[in-house]
Amino acid sequence: MTISLIAFAILLAMVFVRIPIAFAMAIVGGVGFAILRGWAPAGAMVGNAVFETGLNYSLSVVPLFIFMGNVLAGSGIAQGLFSAADRVFGRMRGGLAMATVLSCGGFSAVCGSSLATAATMSKVAMPSMRRFGYSDSLATGSIAAGGTLGILIPPSVVLIIFGLLTEADIGKLFLAGIIPGIVGIIGYLVAVMVAVRLKPELAPKVGEVMPMTRQDAISVAAVLALFAFIMIGIYGGLFTPIEAAGMGAFAALIIAGLTGGLTRPALWAAFLDSATASAMIFAIIIGAEIFSNFVTFAGLPDSLSQIVEGLGLSAWTVLLLIVLIYLVLGCFLESLSMILLTVPVFYPVISNLDFGLAVLADPDAVLIWFAIIVVVVTEISLITPPIGMNVFVLRSVLPDVTLGTIFRGVFVFWVADIFRLALIIGVPALSLWLVT
Amino acid sequence: MSAPAPDMIPGRVPHRQARWYRALAVVAALLIALMIGVTCIDVFGRYLLNRPFGGAYELTQMLLAALVFVALPLTTADGGHVEVDLALHMFSRRVQVLMGRLAGLVSAAALAYFAWRLAVIGLDQWHEGTRSASLMLPMAPLAFLAAISCAVSSLILILPRDEVAA
Amino acid sequence: EELIMSSWLPPKHPIVVNAFKPWAEAVEKATDGRVTVRIMGKPLGSPPAHFDMARDGVADITYGLHSFTEDDRFNRARLGQFSFLGDDAIANSKAYWKIYGGTLNAAEEHKGTHLLGLFMHGPGLLHNNKRKIETVADMKGLKIRVPGGYVADLVGALGATPLFMSSPEVYEKLSRGVIDGVAFTYEAMTAFNLVDDIKYSMTVPGGIYNTTWFFVINEAKWNALSDEDRAAIEALSGEAFAERVGQAWNDADSAAKAEIGDKVDFYQASPEIVAALKAKAGELEQKWSDSLGQGYDGAAALAEFRKETGVNLE
Ligand code: NA
Ligand code: NA
Repeated sequence: MTISLIAFAILLAMVFVRIPIAFAMAIVGGVGFAILRGWAPAGAMVGNAVFETGLNYSLSVVPLFIFMGNVLAGSGIAQGLFSAADRVFGRMRGGLAMATVLSCGGFSAVCGSSLATAATMSKVAMPSMRRFGYSDSLATGSIAAGGTLGILIPPSVVLIIFGLLTEADIGKLFLAGIIPGIVGIIGYLVAVMVAVRLKPELAPKVGEVMPMTRQDAISVAAVLALFAFIMIGIYGGLFTPIEAAGMGAFAALIIAGLTGGLTRPALWAAFLDSATASAMIFAIIIGAEIFSNFVTFAGLPDSLSQIVEGLGLSAWTVLLLIVLIYLVLGCFLESLSMILLTVPVFYPVISNLDFGLAVLADPDAVLIWFAIIVVVVTEISLITPPIGMNVFVLRSVLPDVTLGTIFRGVFVFWVADIFRLALIIGVPALSLWLVT
Repeated sequence: MSAPAPDMIPGRVPHRQARWYRALAVVAALLIALMIGVTCIDVFGRYLLNRPFGGAYELTQMLLAALVFVALPLTTADGGHVEVDLALHMFSRRVQVLMGRLAGLVSAAALAYFAWRLAVIGLDQWHEGTRSASLMLPMAPLAFLAAISCAVSSLILILPRDEVAA
Repeated sequence: EELIMSSWLPPKHPIVVNAFKPWAEAVEKATDGRVTVRIMGKPLGSPPAHFDMARDGVADITYGLHSFTEDDRFNRARLGQFSFLGDDAIANSKAYWKIYGGTLNAAEEHKGTHLLGLFMHGPGLLHNNKRKIETVADMKGLKIRVPGGYVADLVGALGATPLFMSSPEVYEKLSRGVIDGVAFTYEAMTAFNLVDDIKYSMTVPGGIYNTTWFFVINEAKWNALSDEDRAAIEALSGEAFAERVGQAWNDADSAAKAEIGDKVDFYQASPEIVAALKAKAGELEQKWSDSLGQGYDGAAALAEFRKETGVNLE
């Protein structure tokens, strides 16, 4: 236990002097393993982790789901979604921010990653909000928060990785994310309303809505069609959730071809960006694998389970403690590494608990419910300072906005997220209703 | 965080014009296209022709590994690995540069170690004749590709910027 | 001395619960607590890496399938992967330990490790949800998931299409109709939740296939143990472990059969099917035997194996 905590502290220190998190995890994990077990075994373990992660069939969804989102982004579909959403809220104060949230939710239905969702929507929504005099904080906050929905509303790379870590049914995990995702959209809409009610200067009343063009209607139809294709394909038994990534990417190319919005440079950029983003994600997965092999070896999961059992806490107390740990870790850890490092540790603890609810009588149900809780706390971590990946994405896309401004703008959405988290913990049926 | 802006047009950043970068990028794009193709052939084959593609599972695995390792030098050259530069503002510009250099060297060391271990795996598989279970494809070349990819990525972090862009 | 064991099967898998864990406890007891075995909750590498992990000392003790990857190093291990080898996992495992471990010099194929056990599971069956296979013609066009190259050749020769995928993928593919059937054990039918998607299960006398497993400890670690402790562990390993793990597989098969009840139509393969299988199997066995080279007689080893397990091929 102590050695694992020391390792975590060194890891954080290395991350703060700007060593890429993937390599920091690999180094601390590899050296730690070598200290406990010798250099030759550590070398063999590291080599295996690097090679076998590349060969992991289920992770083939990473490049393909990202490519699917990139193709749609490159063909102007995100712009169409945003304009259409603006028709719904445009006349209200803060309407553009609400349209941002809604179109983020829509784009999440065809994009597996939160970072990609935030990056895409920022290019579409930010110019409009600036033109109409929205404050940078509300504008960027709504994009950063809305973008987090990318990993909750299916398809989701994070849910697939959770399924990999716990052998949960990925098809069920996808279904489970839908209602909490809609709850998330509603929560964010309310957050915008509250923010502009308290501080009207954040968003001037626009009063006019952008004209809805034929192109916008096509975009909405395209997103609905692709989402339906994926869902019907998975649940109609045509292909597996893993295959859905390849089929979805293919369908996205067809749709882009039909709508004619995808230029050759945009297609090239979609390919290149999917490749580089995948290498970045795989580097993190490899680092996390090495680090968690070390932590497993050092006995952290076992001692944690023993401590929890020894304390004799109720199931709900344990769950709340775990959520609290996640919220704290979420400040410091990058989201994917957080899941890769913690789920193998916490999942055995959770799976042994009895929550005393009929809806959670089945261990599979507990697992699915826990998956959604983990994804929601991960969404929160994406916008929690100091390390909030979605906020970083926005800053890299909008270099003239300060981190402080974005984090200030995100605050109301963070509050909405805490309410949503409480709701999802308190009402497991929200996650399980579609599954059973 | 210095992930590249997703709309970055190739050619805008010097190293992205470099011949090696463009060549690897073309291969990576081809690998993604092949992965999509393999899934399509498998899924369409099974319904339209009643002829599923028995090697789809294994081919996807190997294409994925190839993609990851072909793309790794690209990401590395982009400075695309997730890093946190929040604490940097507390230091002077000189210290910042120094920390960046140090982080690069530490990362390069990790990548060089990966390269060595992957080469060991490759040699092992070469001697044992390790093949994939259904398509009987030899695994060693993939391990060597991974080793070279990590070695190149390590070099990219050590070489000065303008040489990388050359 | 604490020995680290990396385990990739789910922690609740019958052979983890009923063979490896009790074995670990028995080791501790037999050595008066001088040697303990800690089974990791999470494997320290992917399943196919597990032999190398023991050899390289990533973990001290590992187990796994010889057929995880195709290579030349476990060639003689294929002895236990053919058809018609036996319906009882205990007898199978004991014969396998005796013949592969003895005459065929398994130790040489497991260099860098010390063998704690070699074993097999119960008989493999051919399950499908399309039709009762009674003639060779019934096999035509069936898409069958197979565990490896040998079974692929076998069902391919009978006109079916063999497909490869990992075991957990089978549920997804079978329930979606991507595949029509699978070559699996009784135990796997319940373990992978396939019962609702299987209608007919054809048994072949002695099994249509089997898989072979190694259970090894890092050689240096083994040599570092005292003679007394090694003797104590030896007594629990080899044939004794074959008995223990064979029992665990048998019990798992029985539990699965009881759970399935009459939800699946189990039936004996017709003489026509058995004859067709035998013809192709004989060919493949001969090819394997020829590949072993000087000093090893595969055909004789197979004959001896069948004599041990009481399978009569005539
Ligand atoms: Na999504
Ligand atoms: Na955070």
